[in-house]
Formats: sequence, structure tokens, C-alpha cells
Amino acid sequence: MALLALALVAAACSPSGEGGGSTTTAGVTTTEGETGTTAGETTTTGGQPVDTCEATIGFMGPITGEVAFIGEVQLNWFKYALDTWNAETGYDFQMVEADTQFDVAQSATLAQTLLDDPAVLAAVGPAGSDQVDSAGAVFEAGDPNFTFISPSSTRVGITAQYQGLYRTVPSDADQGPTTATFLLDQGATSVFIVDDQSSYSTGLADIVQQQLEDAGVTVTRESVSQDLTDFSALVGTIADDTSFVYLPWQVAANGQIFANQMAELGKEAVIFGSDGMDSADFTQAGSYIAAFAPDIAAVEGSQDLLAGYLEQYPETNTFGPPVYAAARVIFEAIDRVCQSGATPDRASVQAEIAATDQATSILGSPISFTEDGDLAEGRFFIFQIQEDGSKTLVQ
Amino acid sequence: MEFFLQQTVNGLTLGSVYALLALGYSMVYGVLKFLNFAHGEVYMFGAFAGYGVLTVLGGPTGLIVPVWLALTLMFVGAMVVSSGVGVALERFAYRPLRNASRLAPLISAIGASFFLQAAALLLFTANSRSYEAPQLIPIENGLSIGPVDVWAVRVMVIVVTVVLMILLTWWVKSSKAGKAVRAVSFDAEAAAMMGIDVNRVVLVTFLIGSALAGVGGVMVGLVFGRIFHFMGFIAGLKAFTAAVVGGIGSIPGAMLGGLLIGFAEAYTTAYISSTFQNLIVFGLLIVFLLIRPSGVLGRPELVKV
Amino acid sequence: MSNIGVDRWVAESSEHGPKGKGWTAPARSLLDRVPSGWKLLGFLVVAAVYPFLVPQAGVRIGITALLLAMLAIGLNTVVGWAGLLDLGYIAFYGFGAYFYGAVSSDQIGVQWPTWVAIPVIVLASAVLGALLSLPSRRLVGDYLAIMTLFFAQVFLEVIVNYERLPGVDTNLTGGPNGIIGVQPWQLFGFPFDTFNRNYFLLLVLLGLVIVLLRNIDQSRTGRAWRALREDTLAAAHMTTPVNRLKMLAFAVGAAVAGLTGTVLGPVQVGVFPNNFQLLFLITIYAALILGGLGSIPGAVLGAIAVAFTPEILRNPGIAGWLFYIGVVVLLVTVLRRWRMVAAVLAGVVVLGYLVRFLSLAIWDETILGAANDTFLSGILDGWLLILGPASDVVSNYAFVLALAGVLAVTVARGWRRGALLVPTIYLAILVWENKLSLQDSVTRQLLFGAVLVVMMAVRPEGILGTRRVEIT
Repeated sequence: MALLALALVAAACSPSGEGGGSTTTAGVTTTEGETGTTAGETTTTGGQPVDTCEATIGFMGPITGEVAFIGEVQLNWFKYALDTWNAETGYDFQMVEADTQFDVAQSATLAQTLLDDPAVLAAVGPAGSDQVDSAGAVFEAGDPNFTFISPSSTRVGITAQYQGLYRTVPSDADQGPTTATFLLDQGATSVFIVDDQSSYSTGLADIVQQQLEDAGVTVTRESVSQDLTDFSALVGTIADDTSFVYLPWQVAANGQIFANQMAELGKEAVIFGSDGMDSADFTQAGSYIAAFAPDIAAVEGSQDLLAGYLEQYPETNTFGPPVYAAARVIFEAIDRVCQSGATPDRASVQAEIAATDQATSILGSPISFTEDGDLAEGRFFIFQIQEDGSKTLVQ
Repeated sequence: MEFFLQQTVNGLTLGSVYALLALGYSMVYGVLKFLNFAHGEVYMFGAFAGYGVLTVLGGPTGLIVPVWLALTLMFVGAMVVSSGVGVALERFAYRPLRNASRLAPLISAIGASFFLQAAALLLFTANSRSYEAPQLIPIENGLSIGPVDVWAVRVMVIVVTVVLMILLTWWVKSSKAGKAVRAVSFDAEAAAMMGIDVNRVVLVTFLIGSALAGVGGVMVGLVFGRIFHFMGFIAGLKAFTAAVVGGIGSIPGAMLGGLLIGFAEAYTTAYISSTFQNLIVFGLLIVFLLIRPSGVLGRPELVKV
Repeated sequence: MSNIGVDRWVAESSEHGPKGKGWTAPARSLLDRVPSGWKLLGFLVVAAVYPFLVPQAGVRIGITALLLAMLAIGLNTVVGWAGLLDLGYIAFYGFGAYFYGAVSSDQIGVQWPTWVAIPVIVLASAVLGALLSLPSRRLVGDYLAIMTLFFAQVFLEVIVNYERLPGVDTNLTGGPNGIIGVQPWQLFGFPFDTFNRNYFLLLVLLGLVIVLLRNIDQSRTGRAWRALREDTLAAAHMTTPVNRLKMLAFAVGAAVAGLTGTVLGPVQVGVFPNNFQLLFLITIYAALILGGLGSIPGAVLGAIAVAFTPEILRNPGIAGWLFYIGVVVLLVTVLRRWRMVAAVLAGVVVLGYLVRFLSLAIWDETILGAANDTFLSGILDGWLLILGPASDVVSNYAFVLALAGVLAVTVARGWRRGALLVPTIYLAILVWENKLSLQDSVTRQLLFGAVLVVMMAVRPEGILGTRRVEIT
């Protein structure tokens, strides 16, 4: 009886209709043959005749564990990028998935596993800056020519430490000042900052706090453990004259709880969320969020990609599209090596990745890298959430 | 004063949820003398069951039944699923280890906990879900206690917890099954010799403990909003703490322990610092245990030689 | 064997236990006859050859296993021998790692030579462990456990928030970012800067720790610890210095953990708060209890099992093989008679075709996808219902039903069991091919959990543990 009820719950909870990510791999496998031939012709017309280009690309992310919501979406976007790429080009690129569980020790082991597999040319991931650090040490020692593109690590200066590290999100050095300047422009006089004791969060909070305090704004700095889901006691301490609450958090759903509890306790300060809060889970009307990309649902070209993704996978969030961008950077680099007539290896792929120059990307902005591996044109956008849940670009 | 009252309400709500969960730990410990480490996962499944019922009934904005009925069904659904998971745990993960050393069920429980978390990931995906309780019961609805407005959901959480605890206390004290539970937790062997079916008592204990966890799951969904596959691990730790601080094996102790930790967390954040909340709460608990080594209501163990 | 204070019966207590039971008995009695020195040597030789047979990642996993083995052995001193439930153990590991990290990196600009750092850290860990043992004078059992758990949590909070503590102006711990760029051990000018070197460093340390602890175990102190574990009160009445022994157990355990910590930093080239979460403490306990509480070889074996099982499961191909082998093993062990096995297999095959035929009759072929590319896909394609789009809801139902089926099979008896097996196996295969094999990482966690539960049910005392009667 209870088990039947469980099945009911499962059915109710599972994403409606379209079917989950699991089935798509099988679906694509069947179509591969046909698209293969057509795309093969396309490349022939493109110039040098290259029919085959073989590569395996690694994916590292927290697929299970506490922040599985990040890794799951990242993995789905990676699979989606791979499937669309293979369909487009007729290649048969393969992937290896590596579940870091957001754990530094796992991350290092997995980095070595990827290095050991000579077929793996480059990787997307890992997600957090800590994981990037521990994996980076392994890559740096094992083969500095192995490229790994993090789709979500934002710590300032980390790209300079590892030769193989690139990233498709701007760093906190872009986001922090953009945020602080915006808050100052809005006439903030008293700001309540809460970090979640993670490396990402404290880094951003420090930058913003510093800049605000230099400008004479009263800052109250608090921090909560990421495990916490009841903020009412903390919300209760927000002073009535507080104009903004800055939440540099990764778990957007927690941000929504914070917002609800502010409403419940009659606090009227406006929430400003970092890019981690840019998610369908956070819908508090009137709040601002920073985002490293314009709303991709509004970017021409990206709309179709997003729609295609949603046809196959149940959900997406802000952590997804940068994975697609990172995967594309790697795929295209490998392709360029193949086109030049060489057999791609790690060094040649890295050289091509460094030379990446995409006029546009899924993120709506051009992608090219600085010498360290940061985005050359890292820029932050600020949105305001409207009553109907949509986002309006305000800066 | 208003601030203090507000924080008291916050602590009371949080403490209520901890207490409901702690009861499950404490009851099982009383009977079987080990920690059901997977109890947090039972609670997580309860929260998802409540969400499932809510979705089937049309979701928070499009309910096809009155709100009170929806809430009742959610609680019932959660209790059914949770107790199902709890009983299955007992039967398959713990019963084979009934006579093993005390640490063996702990590892079995950890295994079950991993398994259930992965199962939840497979069934519900990793995205957290929200009951969107403010849509069900608007934030304006509530009770005014002096200068403080308390949201109806919070009132409900506190009231339901109090009622459940009174019922449970009565059940353990007066009903036949409750007496059997007490007898088994006092001395399982002697109880078995008196003709009490120990397996049955264990089953009932898991049933009730898990059902309470299910209620706790729905309550967390309603008040705090976010449910996800990992929620059981975190809440379980707090509840386990509450059970021990209250005096493990003691039912009123679990309730008190839960409230104690709820208040400690709320007041620490309010009056001292949110950053050091855990540090201070754990520090206080260490000092507390040093002063009272068997928890609030735990009896010092009498050792027979 | 006539040392003062040695009682023959106690000294040979391990030989008095029940023998010759169960199917592993022959192997175990053979193993028992081998002197422990030879066993250790044998293990060290095998372990020393291992890194030359595997790729670098294998060495990395070997390091994980060795770290875990060291930690499990240290924990065994406190929990397995002295019987003190210590949940704060992870903090000593963290303490050692952070201490080493702080004095061997650019974090605070201090670089101690290894031969200074290691003894100081081991000693400091031991002192810290002795301090933590103080509450154990008053607290017993689970209360001691939770108290030590609080200690571990406090340690973690201090690590993460160190910089914000009142009156602190150095960033000693690096906060949430941890310490990076930790230098390797360097002895006599020889740097342990590669995986292989660290692996052998750990292997040597492990050998030393094992020899040392074994000697303590067989000394008066070891026997006194066991007396303490079995009955503290009785031990106290026999004038055993209970408090001093508890302190010693905590100190020894902490020293081993601290020492292990000093190798973590160099291996990872950094230490992070994330390394010392509660989940890892659970892993150490899992290794120890799985291997058999109280046994050093057990702790090592448990650590190897816990470190390698998830890695083996990581390979989707192997996981697939394991799944189908598991199904067959389940069939054979549960039914025991070949005729029944054949009947059930036939039933599964028939059911498969039936379900496929019926579903295709009701819906059209568009519901079908292609089987995942595995070694069985050729066979499965024509038989199994591989759901294309919209399979999630169906496979969710099937998943829950298959679970219920597996549970029911273990309870059912006689022909009912056979009858239940048919749909259960079919559903299991359906779910495996439609859902589980497509989500490697989650399935891996699922299987790891199931393996833990099953192993404990099969051998509650652990792989090399001895069954003890609990006195209540």
C-alpha cells in the first residue's frame, strides 16, 4: 500500500510529459547514422575534406550529493551539447562522466582518471573553485597541456594558477564591483550582506562589502551555514532602515525561503542576489539579480537551443548554459585541429582553445580568453524580477 | 520585547520540527538501543509524499479541494509513505542485525541512507521543490500575539506538534501497545518472556516514529519551503543531537531536546552572531552535557555487575 | 609466553572463539594459521607491486585506500579496542592536515622542515586527543559519542570561520578556500612529490603504525583496553587505571589520525574544509566496521573495500556486468534448485515477449527506443520494452515496483518466491536498461548503499571480525 503511494508520488514529482534526460541518449544513437552522412557532406563543402574526427571529452561535476541540482543540470547540458554537436557535424565524439560529489578528494582522483585515459582530450568542469583547486593540482602535475574549462568557478585569480584552466563565466572581480556600483547608484545607505560560508560566497561578499564600506555605506555582515533552511531568526535581525539585502548564494531555493521569511516578518528591504540566485527557484518580485549572461531565453539563436534542451531534459538553471558554451569551445577547438589535418592531442587542443574566438555564443556574448584563461569580455548584467516572474534587464 | 517574542516564535517552530524528528530517533533507540541513522531519509520521503499529494490535488495555486482537506491529505499521504519506508527499513536493513553488535546496524543504516538518497535522486531528480505555502495560506493570515503577527502555518506547526506529543505521551503511558513498547525498552528479554511479541513492538515503534517524521517533512515543506534529496541528512543530524541532548530513549526528553536546540539556534542568531551560530550552539551543548552527562531527562545508567 | 602480567587464556583469547562455521571457514582457518608477521609482509609485498600494474589513477585510488586504512586503524584503537565511541576522530585528521598545511605552504609564510613538522604535529595531535578524552571521565556511550561529534563540528566551524573569530588577524586556515600549495614531505633531501612516492611513503607509515599498534595491542595496555571495553566497572575494580587508559586510547588514535593528515595535504597539494565533513567520518567508520571492529587486518581490508567498490562501480560497463551477474547469483542462491532457476528464467523470457507484444498491440512502435549500447543490447533489442520518449513516469513506477518485488522475494517462501521472481527480474532489467544504466553516478551511489546493507546482513561482525556476545 505504502509502496503504491510512493509510486504515486514519484509519478507526480517526475517532470511532466516530455520525458527525462535518460531517454535521449538512446534516441540520438538511432539517428546518428543518417545525420552522419548529411553532415559529412556539409563539412566536405566547407573546405578541406575531413570525414572523421575522434575525441573523448570528460565531464566533471557534482552529479550526486548535496548540490546535485548543479551537477545534474550541468551534466544534461553537456550531454545535450554533445548530442547536438554530433548531429551537426556527423562526428562521433564520446564523453566520460565523472561525479565529483562536490568533494575535493574525489575531484582529484577523477582528474587523475581523466588524465590516465589517453583518449580524453579535455574536460568540462569541475564546478566549484575548491574542486578546481584540487583537480588543478593534479592536471598541472600530470599534464599541463590538459585543458579543463570550469563552467562555474568564479574565484578571482584561480585561472592564473593552472595552465590548463579556462572558464566560461566571468570572475568575482567582474561581478563584485558591478554589484557594488549598482547598489550605490540605487542610493543604498545600509546594506545587509549574508554569505553562506562557501568559498564562492565569502569571496563575493568580501569584495562587495569592501567597496560599499569605502563609499560610506553601513554594512551589516552576517553568514549562515549552507545547510540551514530556516532563516527567520536571522531575518528578524534585519534593521528597518536597511535598503538592500545582498545574498551571494549558490542555492537559489534558499534565497526564496529568505525572501518569504522577510515578507512574513514584514521586512521591506530589497534583495539583491548573485548569479547563483539566477534561477527559476528564486522569483521574489522586485528583487535584483546579477547574471553573467543576458537572459538566454531572449537571445536570438539561444532560444532554439534552450527549447531543444527543454524538449529532452526536464529542468534547467543558471549553471547549465555555461557548460554548453564550454563544451562548444572544446568541440570547435578539436574540430579545428582535425580540419588542419592533424590528429588532435591535448597540446594541440589546448592551443586551439586558447585561440578561441567565437563572435557569439549561447550566452549571447562573444567568447575569447585572456592569457590566464579568463573570459576576455566578462561582463555582468543586472535584472529585476517582475510580478509575473519574468526578468527585466536594468543594466 | 517584540523582537524577543518574534525570535521565540521562530525558535518554537524550528524546535517543533526537530522534536518531531527526534522522537523517531529516541523511540527506536529506546526499543532497539541503536541509532536509526536513515531516519532523516524517512523524513525526506515524507516531504516528497506531501508534495506529491499537493501536486495531484492541483498544486498550490490550482487546488481542486478546500485547503484544509488538501493539508489533511498531505499529512496522511506523508505518514503513509514514511511509515512504509520506515517499516521496510526495519524489516530488511535492521532485523537481520538484531543480535549483532551495536555498530553493525549503524553501517547498515548508512548504506540504507545512501540507497534512499540515490533512489530519491532517480525518482524526483536533484532539483529542489517548493510547497509554495504562501500561495496556500497567505502570509497575512495569522495570529497576533501582542505586537507580533504569527503566520497561520507557524501556528499550525506548533499546534500540531503539541497535539501529537500529547497523544503520543498518552499512548505510551496508557494504551496496551504503548505499555508493551515501554516494557520492551525497559528489558526486551524479560518482555519477550512475559509474552510480548517483540517483533510487533519494534514494528509499531518504527511505524509511529516514521509517521511522525512524515508529518515533520510536510511541516518543513510548509514553513521553510524547500525540499530536496539531501534534506534528511542535515535535519537528521540536528534531530539526533536533540534526541541525545534530551536524554536518549526518553520521549519527553526528545521533545525538550528539540525545543532546546530550536531556541538555542534562534537566540544565538538573534542576539550574538549568525556566523558563529553552530559554534556557539555546539559549544553550549558541550558545556551542558558536561554538567548533565545524561541529557535533560535521561537517567544516569545503572550498571548491573 | 611467560611474561609477567600475561594470562594464557587472555593471550590466546582470539583462538577460543567459534571456528569452522560458515562457508568462509576453511579460508579463515587457513589465514589464522599464518603468523601475523607473514600476513603483514605478504600484504606489503602485494601493495608494493600494485602501483606498477595500474595507471596513475589506480595509484591515486590506492593512496585513498591507504589513507583510509591508516585512519581506520587509528580509529580501531579508540573504538575497537578501548570501546569508546569517538565521533570527533575526523577533527584530528583535520588538525594534522591543517597544521602541516600551515607550516608547509605560503599561507602564513612559515616553512618547517619535515623532520621537525611531523613529530611536532603527531605530538600535538596526541595532546589534543588526550584533552578530548577528559569528558569521557563523566560521559559514557552515546553521550560521549555526541559530545565528540560536537567537537568535530566545532573544529570545522573554527576552520571555516577562523579569520572572523574575534581578535584574529592572520588568515591561518584560509577560511572556506582552504590552504593551497602545500609542499610535499622532504626527508634527507628526498622530496615525496609524486603519487608513487606518496604511495610508498604511506605504505611505509602504514606498516610502521601496524607494527606499533600490534605491539601495544598485545601488551598489558592492549589487554587493559579490552577489559575496559568489555566492562569498565569491573576493570576499575581490578584496579585498572580507567581514566589514564581512556586518555591513552584517545591520544594514540589522534596521533595516528594527525600523522595521516600530514600526508593528505601533499597528496592533494592543498587542504580544504570539505575534506573533513561528517560524510568522510562515516566512510572511516564504514571501513572499520565492514572489515571487522577490533581487527587490524580487518580495518585494512575494510578500507580497501570501501575505497575500491565505488571506483569499480564507476565503470558503466562493469556496473552492467555486475548487475546481470547479481541477478543470476540472486536467482541461484535464492532458489537453489536448477529446475526452479530454469523455470523462472523461462518465465522471465516469456513475460518479456508478452509485455512487448501487448504494449505494441496497444500503442504503436513510436514508444520504442533503442537499447543502450551494452554487451547485451543485441539480445535485449528484440525482447525488452525499451521505452523511448516519455519513459520517466513508467520507469519510475517500474523502479518502485521492482524494489518492492526484491523486498517481497526475500520474505516469500516456496513456490510464491519463484512466482514473484519472474516479474521482479523482468522489472529489474526493464529499470536497469531504461533508467539506471543511463544515470551512472546516481546508480553507483544506489548500488554502494545496497552493497553496504547486504554485506552487513550477511556478515554482521564484519569481514574479519569475531562475533561477540553483547552483555546488556
